[in-house]
Amino acid sequence: MNNSTSPTQPDETAPSQEVGIGHVLPHVRRPEEIPRTQAVQFRNVTKTYNAGQANAFTAIENITFAVEDLPDKGEFVCVLGPSGCGKSTILRLIAGLQPQHPATSGEVLVLGAPVLGPGPDRGMVFQDYTSFDHRTVLENVTFGLECQGVPRRQRYELGREWINKVGLNVQTDQHKYPHELSGGMRQRVAIARTLILRPRIILMDEPFGALDPLTRLNMQDLLVSLWRTAQATVFFVTHSIEEAVYLGDRVYILSSSPGRLVKEMEVAPPDRPATAMQRDPRFQETVYYIRDLIFQLEKSK
Amino acid sequence: MADKQPADPASPAPQVPPAAGVDVAPRGRDNQGTWFSIRQPTQPWQAVLLGIVCIVFCFGLWWLVTAGEAEQRILTSDKVPSPQETFGTLHDLWFNRALMRNIIVTLQRVVLGFGLAIVIGVPVGILAGCFTRFAAFLSPLIIFGRNIPLAALIPLTIFIFGIGELRTVMFIFIACVAFVVADAAQSILDVDTRYIDTAYTLGAHRRHVILKVLTPLAMPAIFNSLRLLFGLAFGYIMLAELFVVGGEDGGLGYLISVSQRRGPREHIYLIILAIPLVALAIDRLLYHIQRSLFPYRYGGPGYLNNGLKWLLHRWDDIKVAVLPSHLPAWLTAERLTNGNASSDTKPTDTPPGA
Repeated sequence: MNNSTSPTQPDETAPSQEVGIGHVLPHVRRPEEIPRTQAVQFRNVTKTYNAGQANAFTAIENITFAVEDLPDKGEFVCVLGPSGCGKSTILRLIAGLQPQHPATSGEVLVLGAPVLGPGPDRGMVFQDYTSFDHRTVLENVTFGLECQGVPRRQRYELGREWINKVGLNVQTDQHKYPHELSGGMRQRVAIARTLILRPRIILMDEPFGALDPLTRLNMQDLLVSLWRTAQATVFFVTHSIEEAVYLGDRVYILSSSPGRLVKEMEVAPPDRPATAMQRDPRFQETVYYIRDLIFQLEKSK
Repeated sequence: MADKQPADPASPAPQVPPAAGVDVAPRGRDNQGTWFSIRQPTQPWQAVLLGIVCIVFCFGLWWLVTAGEAEQRILTSDKVPSPQETFGTLHDLWFNRALMRNIIVTLQRVVLGFGLAIVIGVPVGILAGCFTRFAAFLSPLIIFGRNIPLAALIPLTIFIFGIGELRTVMFIFIACVAFVVADAAQSILDVDTRYIDTAYTLGAHRRHVILKVLTPLAMPAIFNSLRLLFGLAFGYIMLAELFVVGGEDGGLGYLISVSQRRGPREHIYLIILAIPLVALAIDRLLYHIQRSLFPYRYGGPGYLNNGLKWLLHRWDDIKVAVLPSHLPAWLTAERLTNGNASSDTKPTDTPPGA
């Protein structure tokens, strides 16, 4: 594969830069630059649908990056880019879900091992509401444990703890069916049933995309507090720049059609509630920098 | 839209004379809220009343065309008997021809034949909906089963299954099973892929996806199609019963056939009136079962759903008692080290499925 500097990678020589609460790396780090164990590693990954046919479409092209596995902590990685830039493709390749999996070329490694298919070590929260309609909140939250054969009493006990942790009311909500819940509550259920399995990697595909702005801010704060105790590496796909800068320790910026990794940024972690932090001028400076960058990328196409 | 109200609601809005040339006619057409507005909601009592009006109208028409002495009638009595003549034979039909017993015989056959079609057709359909290659393998049988002329099957069922009860039961089974399979498969296919993806990322195996996700999510749609197909089966049983082969067949179709040959003809009209009543009763029964089974779709308390869950929980308990418990290592470790299993310790073992 093409490991050398290619004209398709526009960021090779950019200088390191401080922007607001962010630090722009000179280039997207390659796996060999990170000496530690790596939670996720992409090596020259390309995904082309209908390869060789007239309607062939390349979603992502030659993507190489690595995220280290910070011991006892994990990193919050946001993947940012315009619609259709292959953000979800990257996520679903990590999850091992078809039809994105397997990649057309290149390697996807999770904790050093190639991805063969989906598993509970890589929990995923989707944008669409995916609560099982025929299961109550408690039964939805404990679905993964049920599949692992955990007896009902134990799994319900743990399930109630998690219902409480994601800010739902155990007494009133545990026996409700998804159709009785609001969008925000459904996503709380989705987060609970993923985190209850203690995944090492949590994949979130625009989980708050369908929520109203206020609920969205609340959910961001909830996610930050839950993640602090989850000790997992989070991959969070979004097209909201504020959301990415607020939540992320690290932000990847993609260009579109085909998706390429353009920039890697380190960002200060959230130290205040979303509403307060997002008002900070330094926060805004970072947001504007990324917005201009994406705008330029779109124009130069 | 309403006009902006002035700040003080008590004071009337100042009457500003409209400028010359401004159209002050009411906006829009008032085509809502009248009897013939499109999709205007109807009160339940109105719906019932209108249905009764329709029935009264039909009987009135019937009475009108058969009123008077035999010669004055619009339709002569050898074609259509009058309502009085028809209902006059109800006593005879009920007692001498045992209407109720024959209704039960017919129902028994439909329930057995259709039940067999469900028991075989639904699981096969679910598998066909899950596995595209199995569906491709079955598709010739489905096309054949859905398109054979059913009347032509009757002689064949007599050759194969004899003239007893088995004949009618198997006829209903053959008539319905292809539809049941096709509908069940389609219901499974209609479940969104995102549920499968979700289940897999939560560690479900293939059997869990089929049994715990796809089948229960498709079940409301499957039940709905079964309810419609039961109406179809009830229609087919008449066909099989009209074709009288033995002496003591029984059933509503047999009763029609006997009344046709030996009279009185009024009985045929009575039976034709009785069939929709039976069908309505069954449909209502199935509707209430459906509501009770799927409260997450139709609301309500869902007693049958609760009963089903209770049974599944008992099955769970038996499994736990019989099989050795195998908690995931990370969960046991967490419970032991932490007592109340709060989430602020790192799992000491690798997570499940890693």
